[in-house]
Order: sequence, then C-alpha cells, then structure tokens
Amino acid sequence: MDSARPQERPTAFDRMLTPLHRWIWSDSNRCAQKLLRFSETETDGGRDILRAAEVTSDPLLRRLYLEHALDEFRHGALFRHRAAALLKVSPSRSNPGFHGDWLAPGGHGLDDLQVDGESDSDMLAFLHLSEKAAASRFTVYRDVMQHDAPTRAVFEEILHDETFHMNYTLTQLVRVEPERHRRHLWRARLSRLWKAYLRLATGLAGILGSTLLTIQYFVLLPPFAWLAKRAARRERSGWTMVSPGHSDALDRQY
Amino acid sequence: MNILGISAHYHDSAAALVVDGVPVCAIQEERLSRHKGDAAFPLLAIESCLQHAGIEADELDAVVFYERPMLKFDRILTCALRAFPRSWRAFPKAMKNSLGEKMWMRGIISSHLGVPGRKVLFTEHHQSHAAAAFLTAPTYRAAIMTADAVGEWTTLSVGEGERMTNGPTTIRRFREIKFPHSLGMLYSTFTAYLGFKVNEDEYKVMGLAGYGQPTLVEQVRKVIRRTPDGAFTLDLNYFEFHTTAERCYSSRFIELFGPPRNPYEPIDLDTAEGQRFASCAASVQRVLEDTLVEVTRALHQETGLPDLCYGGGLALNGIANARILAESGFERVFVPPAPGDAGCAIGAALYCDRIHFGNPDRDLPDHPFWGPSVDGSELAQLAREDGHVVVECHDGPLVDQIADDLAAGRIVGWMEGALEFGPRALGHRSILAAPHTTEMRDRLNREIKYREPFRPFAPIVPIEVAARYFDIPPGGARLARFMSGVFPVRRESRSRLQAITHVDGTARVQVLEPAMSPRLHALLEAYGRRSGIPVLLNTSFNLAGEPIVNRAVEGYSTFLRSKIDVLVAGGTRVTKRTSAMAKTQVDKIKEGVA
Repeated sequence: MDSARPQERPTAFDRMLTPLHRWIWSDSNRCAQKLLRFSETETDGGRDILRAAEVTSDPLLRRLYLEHALDEFRHGALFRHRAAALLKVSPSRSNPGFHGDWLAPGGHGLDDLQVDGESDSDMLAFLHLSEKAAASRFTVYRDVMQHDAPTRAVFEEILHDETFHMNYTLTQLVRVEPERHRRHLWRARLSRLWKAYLRLATGLAGILGSTLLTIQYFVLLPPFAWLAKRAARRERSGWTMVSPGHSDALDRQY
Repeated sequence: MNILGISAHYHDSAAALVVDGVPVCAIQEERLSRHKGDAAFPLLAIESCLQHAGIEADELDAVVFYERPMLKFDRILTCALRAFPRSWRAFPKAMKNSLGEKMWMRGIISSHLGVPGRKVLFTEHHQSHAAAAFLTAPTYRAAIMTADAVGEWTTLSVGEGERMTNGPTTIRRFREIKFPHSLGMLYSTFTAYLGFKVNEDEYKVMGLAGYGQPTLVEQVRKVIRRTPDGAFTLDLNYFEFHTTAERCYSSRFIELFGPPRNPYEPIDLDTAEGQRFASCAASVQRVLEDTLVEVTRALHQETGLPDLCYGGGLALNGIANARILAESGFERVFVPPAPGDAGCAIGAALYCDRIHFGNPDRDLPDHPFWGPSVDGSELAQLAREDGHVVVECHDGPLVDQIADDLAAGRIVGWMEGALEFGPRALGHRSILAAPHTTEMRDRLNREIKYREPFRPFAPIVPIEVAARYFDIPPGGARLARFMSGVFPVRRESRSRLQAITHVDGTARVQVLEPAMSPRLHALLEAYGRRSGIPVLLNTSFNLAGEPIVNRAVEGYSTFLRSKIDVLVAGGTRVTKRTSAMAKTQVDKIKEGVA
C-alpha cells in the first residue's frame, strides 16, 4: 500500500508543473504573497486540527492532534515571518498578479471540513491525504527555490514535520480502524476529488458571474449612475430627520 | 411568547432567545464554531439557544433579523452607481456577495428553522442597537445614541426611549447621519492605514493612541468636518471605502498623513516612524472623542435627561465613553456588554417583544452571562486522562487555593458559570494574574497572549474599594460594570499596579458587584488579604486569533498550549504535570517516526 510509506517525492503531476512553479516562485513579491496565503492556510488548518483535538474522545489522538496543531501554527508563523522578510526588501504591489493558487487547492489545510461532525477515522484519513499532498507539493516548492536559500530552508523544515504527520495519521487510522482503514482512505480520496470539482466549478461560475456583471455594469448602469450622481449632489450633508413611525413595521425587508 | 433574534453575515454573528420578555440565552456563533469573528448564519448559536430553553423551532412566535436586507442592498447598489465608473471592480463582488445569500434572509431563515415566512421579521440595524442599549439598561427614560461604521444607511442616530414597568415601551429616533459619513468608517480607515485589520483591530488603534500625541488633529479635521447643524461630514476625496473593495483610504489621504504602515512590520515606538503612527492614532482618537462629546452634549441639552444609553460598535471605545460621561452632561452612560453587531440579536428580539407585539415592559437581569455553563467534571476527566494534577473541591478552599496561586505569581485560567455575551471577558472566561509588575504584563504578552507590547491589560476590582485605586467619576461605576470605560489609575497606586496601568496612566477597569459574580468577588477579596490590593489583571481567556473559550475542553486545550499555570473550571483545579514525569505515548510515537 503506497500510503503506508512516508513520501517526500512529488507526484508526476507536480513534477510536470515544475517549470510553471519555478516561474511563479521566481518573483519575490509573488513569493511573499504565496507564503502569506500558506501562512493563513496552515494557521486555519491548525485551528481545525485543534478543534479535532477538542472533540475527540480518544486521549491519544487528542494529544497527537494537539502536537499536530501546534506544528501547523508554527508553520504559519514560519511562512509569515519569511513573507515579511521578503516584503521588507520588495514592498507589496497593490495588484500582485498571477499566483497560480488554483494549482494547489486543498493540497493543505482542512478544506471546509466540518470537524465537529467527523469521526476519528474519517478525520485521520482526510488528514493523511492532505499531509501527503502537501508534502508532495512542498517538495516541488523546495526544489524550485534554489535561488532563495532562506525560503528553501522554511520548506525544508516544514517538510520534516509533514513526514511525521503523514505517518502518525496513517498508523492511528490503522489503530482505530484495523479492518476498514483502506475503505476510509478511498472515501477520503473521493471526497477530495469531489471538493476539487466543486472548487473548480465554483471558480468558473465566479469568473462567469463576474464577467456578466461587469458587462451589465458598463451596458445597463450608466443612465442609473447619472441619476444616482445627480441625486447625490442634491443631498444635504449633516443630520437627516427621522419621521415618527418611519420603520415601525417589522414585516418589511426595506 | 418565544422570540429569537439573529444577527449575521457581516461580522460576529449571534443568536438570542427572549422568552416571555426576558432573555434566556444569547451567544455569538464564534464561541461555538471556534472561528473568530464568525459571520456565518448562526445555526449553532440558534441550536444552543433553543436547547437551553428546551423548545423546538416550531414553538417560536417570531424570528427577528437584526437589519433590513433590501435596504442594505439599496445602499450598496446606490454607492456603486454614485462611484461609476470607479466602482467597476467592486461592483461584481458586491453583487455576488449580496445576491448570493444576504438578500434572501426571509427564505433562508424559514428554510433553516422550518418556520413560516410570516413569522420572520426585520428591525433596522440601528433600531436593534438602540433596543439593545436601552431595553437592557436599568433606566426607565433615557436619551439614546447609536454609532458604528454603517447599518443599512445609518451610521449614527440619536433619539429617546421610555418604558414603564408592566406598561408600554417607546423608542423614538430623532435624526440620523447617513453613509458614507461615518465615524466608524473614519476610525476603520485609520485602522487599515495603521496596518491593522478592519472590523477586528480597532481597539489596537485605541491602545496605540496612548503612546502618541495628537499632533495631527488639524489634518484629521480636514478629512472630517463639522456641519452647521452639529453633525459631521467626511471629505470623500480622502477615502475609497465607498467606491472600491481594495482600500479604505485614497492617495490624497496618504499625501496628508504619509505612507501607511506595512502590516508585517512591528511598530517600533522608539523610532520617528513608530511615533508618527502613534500620533495618527492619538489624533483620530481625539477627533472621535471631540465629535462624540459634542453630539452627546447637544443631545443632553435637547432631552434634558440624566441617562444616556449608547450602542453600536463605537461604544466599545472606552476612552471616548469616559469623556462622554465627563463632558456631555449626562449623569449615567449605559453601554451594554455587547454593544456591537452581536448584541443586535438581543436588541432585535427585545424590540420585537416590546414594540412590535406591545408586550409589557419587564426588568431584565443586569449581567452579561447569557451563554452555556461550564462543566468542571468534564475538565477533571480530560486532565486525568492526560495525567495532569486534578483537585476537585468546594468554593471556599478552592478560592483560597487560587488566591495563593495568584499571590505566588501563577497565571490562572478561570472558567465559571455561564459564558459572557459580547467581546469582553467579564470574569467567567478570564485569564487572571497578579497586576503588580511590568514583568507580569510582559510575560502574559510574550508567553500567553502573543500580542503587541503596546496593548494594555485590564484590571478587575470589587466595587466597594474601586475608588481606592482608580479615579472613577460619579456615574463611572456603571460604565466600568461591563468594562466600557477607561479611567485613571490613582497616582499613588500606579507603582503597585504596573501590569494594568497603561502608558498614559489609565486602565480599562471592571468594577465587580458581589451579586454579579460572587465567587470571583470572593477571590478578589481573598487575593486582597494576601497581597494588600484586591485587584487582579483580567484578560480574555483565549490565545491570539481565537475566540474566547466556551466549554471546559476549549479552556483545557488553551491551557495545554500556553504557559497558563493553573486552570479552574467550576470546582476543578488543574495544574500541569511536572516535566520530570515519564515520557508520554506521543513522545514515543515521535521517536519511532524519527
């Protein structure tokens, strides 16, 4: 079973995208913005794992999750400090441009997981796959950061922890579900795929929606904008008197 | 009659349940979901309220949403139109944001709770603030002021409320100031300019203000001008919050105040740049205070009433509140424990009960403890499983033991009774410590709260002896009841209260009546017998970026992750096992992996 072995090797897909990653990480501003985003993801993931520690009834898992959460918080801080150092040298632009974030959706972090409703086995399977995906992706990032030793060192340090996370999640999954751990792993894989599809679909719908709304903005709105501006010019500044009974009816939404 | 109030979708969503005219439960969603500032529809909070009262959703007589969604949409659309074509980037985002869920609240509430649409009602945002401030205050007739960033259109309103025991209630708004002219937005713009998070870190600006001089007041007065009728107007050339989603301030603002702070750089107050930021904070704070004082002074002259009920997010500014009390002419200022949007849940429900349904007025319990209760036995079980030292005992010996801990310089995580409603820890989910030395303040900042060194900690003191240590003016004890006022620490006490005395010699003190929290009051007295000063440092029981703890398990995980020495929940006291103890299973697993 491939999941049983600690992996720090990138997947074939990640290897294929190495030139793109190299380009993305070559710009220090883009690099800083990505690190900040990783910092948020790690911290959010840490909070979710902390929640898992709070809701599990298994004392050993509670302690392991707690360790894991602390690691994630530390990773968040490592990413944030490195990003801050990069931003000090290269101040943030208002439009940071292309990040390629869709390339690593949910590779790490807990991906809208409802921690309170998850069983220990589902949580462990999900965490195992997330950590594995993150380790694979971070390996690529480490490898393309030859030109930036401090950022490379951050990935190196985090990868070390990811190995522990990958392993303990799998061994604990086998402990709590000795007979059905493979089923849980497959279910978690399918769930990740489904979420990836949802992310893609939501992203496309968002782009489509924005495009249509922008077209409407320029086509339909100009006359209304003219009227709104004219009305604004007539508005008095200062107090507006409120007439008695002005908003007494509570069944109205306006 | 069962009425559920809901606030949601912008920040700090919450639910509150009023049964027969009295709140029985109110809780912010973040305390249950464990996501700080959770703005999602508060399903967990609603469930908690219903469970607390032992009723089902179909037993609700009304569900009240705290603002009018269509009116809000009207403002968003109008602002986009007025800013055409500069608003082209913000427009799609704003429309998707509104049209996705926020506009359809009647249907959403109806489908989530299974109540018919006719039972879903809507108050105006500032109506909810006004009701939360007035109907929970122990006064029968008062002037009312509400002020925040923005509701639907209103950003500040003034009016008057009157209630009679077992009789009718009226809340009347005289006049209002409309978006984009907003004191809240002015303060939030400076919050963003100073590199802090808008809608979250405004209190950091207040803390930073203490380190600066208001040398930029004239510049601030250029961006906010008084109008002849006693209101104010923002010069919109200095702002962008009404046109774009990217930035609050314009290039002209930067020309006036200099480059904004990089949020990833710490503020070094020993440098000229750090002092410039502190001066910005002090200047906007001064202008905010002056404006609020003038508005409330006029309101006092107009109404002639001795009491002011004050709600909305700006009412969290304790320095401004203290100045309102001192300079407006009002004898008492009532700020509820949750003056922000979360508190609108309780305000909307009470407004519906008293004014929409016309139910007779009821006196309400005057405390902030409306959430779930903590279970000490849950803590005992968890701590025993992990091999920590657990002691379970009755109140008397426990209070003595904790007083000894505090006197020995230990930091205590303190959980008792029902959770507070609102952003302040008022003694039921608090981290307590000795208030005497700066070392303690630095230790808390460094090892537990992980926060900026310029932010002060608050003290808690029994009401009977508060005047011995703090300069609390007449009426100030009321503000200090829910930690809503900042008052000077007496000069002779400052050297013994270093950890809670801010750089400007003030403290955001909480005065505690024995009836509000008897056990904590007993602890303060016991600590006073040991140290000579019955004052404790009281900070919220949470770590940076996390909501205040609710259940024992959350307090326990916070305890394990920080350098809190002692944890108390109900009658259970836990201390960490010594490091000399044998390796844990986790250590063994880690070694195995290595």
